[in-house]
Amino acid sequence: MAATMELRCWGGDWGLPSVHTESLIVLAYAKFSGATITVTPIDWTWKTLTGTVPELVYQGSTITEPAQILNFLRKQRFNADYELSARQGADTMAYIALLEEKLRPALLHTFWVDAENYANLTRPWFASRSPFPLNFLVPGRHANTALSRILLTKGESPLHTITEVEGKIYSEAKECLNLLSHRLGMAYYFFGNTPCSLDAFVFGFVAPLHKASLPSSPLQSHLRQLDNLQRFCDHILNAHFSSHPGETSALRRVCVSLYIDDCFRSRVLGKGYKDPAGFLIERVSENLVNFRSCKAFSKHRTYNFCQVVICSRSNT
Amino acid sequence: MSLAAEAFVSQIAAAEPWPENATLYQPLREDQILLSDCASSLAVQAYLRMCNLPVHVSCRSNAEYMSPSGKVPFVHVGNQVVSELGPIVQFTKAKGHSLSDGLDDVQRAEMKAYMELVNNMLLTAELYIQWCDDTTATEISRPRYSSPYSWPLNQILAYQKQWEVRRKMNAIGWAGKSLEQVYEDVSQCCQALSQRLGTQPYFFNKQPTELDALVFGHLFTILTTRLTSDELGEKIKSYSNLLAFCRRIEQSYFEDSQAGSSSRGYSKGPSLF
Repeated sequence: MAATMELRCWGGDWGLPSVHTESLIVLAYAKFSGATITVTPIDWTWKTLTGTVPELVYQGSTITEPAQILNFLRKQRFNADYELSARQGADTMAYIALLEEKLRPALLHTFWVDAENYANLTRPWFASRSPFPLNFLVPGRHANTALSRILLTKGESPLHTITEVEGKIYSEAKECLNLLSHRLGMAYYFFGNTPCSLDAFVFGFVAPLHKASLPSSPLQSHLRQLDNLQRFCDHILNAHFSSHPGETSALRRVCVSLYIDDCFRSRVLGKGYKDPAGFLIERVSENLVNFRSCKAFSKHRTYNFCQVVICSRSNT
Repeated sequence: MSLAAEAFVSQIAAAEPWPENATLYQPLREDQILLSDCASSLAVQAYLRMCNLPVHVSCRSNAEYMSPSGKVPFVHVGNQVVSELGPIVQFTKAKGHSLSDGLDDVQRAEMKAYMELVNNMLLTAELYIQWCDDTTATEISRPRYSSPYSWPLNQILAYQKQWEVRRKMNAIGWAGKSLEQVYEDVSQCCQALSQRLGTQPYFFNKQPTELDALVFGHLFTILTTRLTSDELGEKIKSYSNLLAFCRRIEQSYFEDSQAGSSSRGYSKGPSLF
């Protein structure tokens, strides 16, 4: 690709590359499919008010909305769904619809409508990332959009006020999280060993809820009980988003998933073994190994896409 | 309804068996009912027939206003009124009739996901075509929706409903879509359903579930309803296993009501038979 693709999105915080759900979806998919995109945060620009986020700019044309951007990336041959069967593709569509219908209203409510969260977390964050005088306008506008969306889609005629709808949307969201947890099971990704677009969508929806420090959130407490979803988010963050350009420390502790074949297993089981590639392998638990890396390791991208295989027990 | 009230109602529901005089209310079949309402109503009827629960269908022009949530259809069972497929499924489950008990957790997750897909894509597309497409709205939706009322009430109600639906489309981001994009979305949704169904008789195992009822309701209504253009029906007809699926359910569950099944809604088009 001669020309680079530029993505305009909200900036990152709380350990995430972006705090905005749709932007996270696109960023995650780009990482999964290997597309190189330059990320331009719209923080502190006037685009916070005028732009629709996220937005992909390529050779003069702009594409908005995650579904359209993903379609565009697929057409440019960055396809993370290549190995999915037809039925898995159908399941992807169904689960994405489930997320949109059941989880999104509750997430909108948690971040934008709930008074405590909005006053203590969301509004200060978005206001601090918008230039003067937009910092007075941008959070309010988003909050109004969120509230009207919840009321129009979920508030049927006797439930015109937000308080009556709250109970219903939170119970539906908790059920949705439970369903996702059941579907994910013990695997690292939803389909097989490689991430695909469904993983990107689930990550985009769940990661802000997982990482943000919300003052009051029953939904976040519910998520804390679902270990596999938290592990899912952490795993994607560590495996695909761990190389932040700002990091300068020579020794980075990188947790990776590693495909261990027979000959490698025998080398891993010793504690503190130093592999010729230049990183220290440390056994954390029975099934997880940590790699202490030096700078050279960051170039070994292939390790990020491997899948863990349970180490066989050995008497080391 | 708050959660505590819902739990209380389902407790009361569990106490009594399904009565003989249960009634389902929908708008007038020949003149008033629209595509989306007809689809929802047919889905509920199919579900109740699959559960072997008798219900009498009653057409009223003010069904929408009688409904507790403002949406049709709703059923009047004993001294309770429940509207929409989701709550009705829960209500019948409280009474001990359920189609999805045999599913494990992962399958139940899939079933809910596919039901949301149908609601998200097919139902929204139906609403869009009815109310946001000017030709259809002017020629079909507004006249039909307000047919029981006299002037000026019919104009006011029709435009009010259209404004409401357009606001909702704005909120979920469908307002910017063109008609071709909506048809394309319907086609993708049908493709997903067709791939999930494959060669099986029903979506899960050999027994129908509420997902089958919902899909049947929407697809059958679209196929047997004449709109300003036949493109929607054509999209579905290109998937032969979905056609066979609709035919199978119609034969298995609607065979006994001979005259009713093939002239559902306001169809002047061909039935599936």
